Amino acid sequence: MSTTILGLGHHLPPAVERCGVRRPIAVEPVGPSTLAVKAAADAFARAQVPADAVEFIIFATMTPDVTFPGAGCYFQDQMGCGTVGALDLRAQCAGFVFGLVIADQFIRAGAYRNVALIGGEVHSSGLDYSERGAPVARLYGDGAGVALLGTGSGAGGLRGAAVHTDGRRHREFWCEYPSSRQHPVRMTVEDLHLGRHFPKIDFDAVRAFAEDALPAVIGEALKKSGVAVATVDRFIIGHLLPEVGEAVGRRLGIESGRLNVPAARHGHLTAAALPVALSEEVAQGSLGPGATVCLAAAGAGFAWGAAVVTL
Amino acid sequence: MRNSRILGIGHYVPPQTVTNADLTKLMDTTDEWIQQRTGIRERHFSGAGVGASDMGADAAREALARAGVAAEDVDCIVFATLSPDVDMPASACLLQERLGISGMPAFDVRNQCSGFLYGLAVADKFVKTGTYDHVLLVGAEVHSTGIDLTTRGREVAVIFGDGAAAVVLGPEDDPAKGILSTHLHAEGRFAEKLWIESAGSRARPRLTEEIVDGPEARLFPKMEGRYVFRHAITRFPEVIHEALDANGLKTQDISLLIPHQANLRISQAVAMSLELPEEKVFNNIQRYGNTTAGSIPLALYEAEQEGRIRKGDLVCLAAFGAGFTWGAVLIRW
Repeated sequence: MSTTILGLGHHLPPAVERCGVRRPIAVEPVGPSTLAVKAAADAFARAQVPADAVEFIIFATMTPDVTFPGAGCYFQDQMGCGTVGALDLRAQCAGFVFGLVIADQFIRAGAYRNVALIGGEVHSSGLDYSERGAPVARLYGDGAGVALLGTGSGAGGLRGAAVHTDGRRHREFWCEYPSSRQHPVRMTVEDLHLGRHFPKIDFDAVRAFAEDALPAVIGEALKKSGVAVATVDRFIIGHLLPEVGEAVGRRLGIESGRLNVPAARHGHLTAAALPVALSEEVAQGSLGPGATVCLAAAGAGFAWGAAVVTL
Repeated sequence: MRNSRILGIGHYVPPQTVTNADLTKLMDTTDEWIQQRTGIRERHFSGAGVGASDMGADAAREALARAGVAAEDVDCIVFATLSPDVDMPASACLLQERLGISGMPAFDVRNQCSGFLYGLAVADKFVKTGTYDHVLLVGAEVHSTGIDLTTRGREVAVIFGDGAAAVVLGPEDDPAKGILSTHLHAEGRFAEKLWIESAGSRARPRLTEEIVDGPEARLFPKMEGRYVFRHAITRFPEVIHEALDANGLKTQDISLLIPHQANLRISQAVAMSLELPEEKVFNNIQRYGNTTAGSIPLALYEAEQEGRIRKGDLVCLAAFGAGFTWGAVLIRW
């Protein structure tokens, strides 16, 4: 018995042009929970599981609707999932892989049968679309993906995963403010004018790190799964920079037809990148039951991970 | 499947004590009003530049030392907070740097007053499945930089204090010992009965001068106290009964109840509803205020230090707070 993806759904708001590129951007004042509710309809329908059969919610995001409570609480309310627990997880770009590993623990321990795992982000409200911020802002999009997880029999499901963090490098890809360590208050008007609430990224460091870390963690997850690179139907690589996904593909010797780099199409969706890309392929029919997929992501933290799943 | 158990507990409380009398210099309030409503006499505030991970690191070092586990042998780090050091990444990442360790997964759980119990449930499952042998769980908050310490914010500001505590979880092979079960709930319908709105992604833009520093500033917590109180005194007993029922136990079997330290009046009402005598309920909110994700482990630390928990005791941890979220965990010590 292993943890299985019972159904997937995704939602991307309409594309809007910003900084010379078109990105899915939520123009209404909504948070990721609202995008996730739209994504969840397909996930529940495909899984043939009603909302009230969900026993636990895990919401991975770095852009919650409000400071607190978490996006999971808002999602739970909008979905009508009774009073089941709703965990809000922060693991940045690797949030979905971390969430998948956590959900798997709850399911394998027998605590819950069906878990709704969400990766959702509304980045656009927190980016600097002026000339100063454009190099970062143009890279992001908004969106949400939902995976309904349960138990399945047979060889399918989550085959293996590996997750890592190296917090020594957190300053190379971070957003410092609001910051609880700033006394006497977390955020001042001066901080606002200085743009301290916008993400700061050392592109060279982030790129170089991921180009080494992603092939390594993919290798680790494949080894744990007992799956060879050649038998994986799709590698979905979640990273801020599309060229990193391409470089990882070259490094592993994966032909372009087996490589899916969501940032190249949507901008970076952070925790939503992997479930959105996987859901898109399932909806299109390019991946079906029995297909083996490697989901990998790396980013801020630095946090990174990979999981091998057979649909 | 094996259980998990707490191998060691550590804590950190910042040195600066802020009494109710100190608060009366900042806002129109009185010691009597605060004590009558909340039971709080004093709390601690952290110093300039000190974040949740700094306090969490001190608590973690003590927990690791007491557990006899080297920092390098930690397999996973779970950090529960609602007042992270920075907007992103997670405080767990900063904690790794403070402890001089890296490689193991480290992430934040953001579940407010129930954060420690949500984190404990996650950590427990990692150990139960055999995925990890040693999980470090930290609960830490720096509230003092995020509350309105003027008369306008007094209803909420007087409640909160800064503090941190940590536990190290490891394997327990006896199925009758360690963490027996974990029970988590949420009800997002009441999200805005106790919340901080900004900086939230649904505001466009997320931060403006008005949000940061105006008469309508939205960086501070808002609470409908009576609402929270009413739900707390229902949900606490309900989830404690759920945990007891799941293990075929009764309220009389509880050796010590450690409720999240939100308000002494809530703890007292819960004890009364469960018909638990005073000596079976541990409270220390009088000295720390509400330290949110730090409150349960900080109370657990003191209870153990004071000899209130003995081998074989049935310890019940329970929480209720923003979200609303709530939960209970039973531990056979």
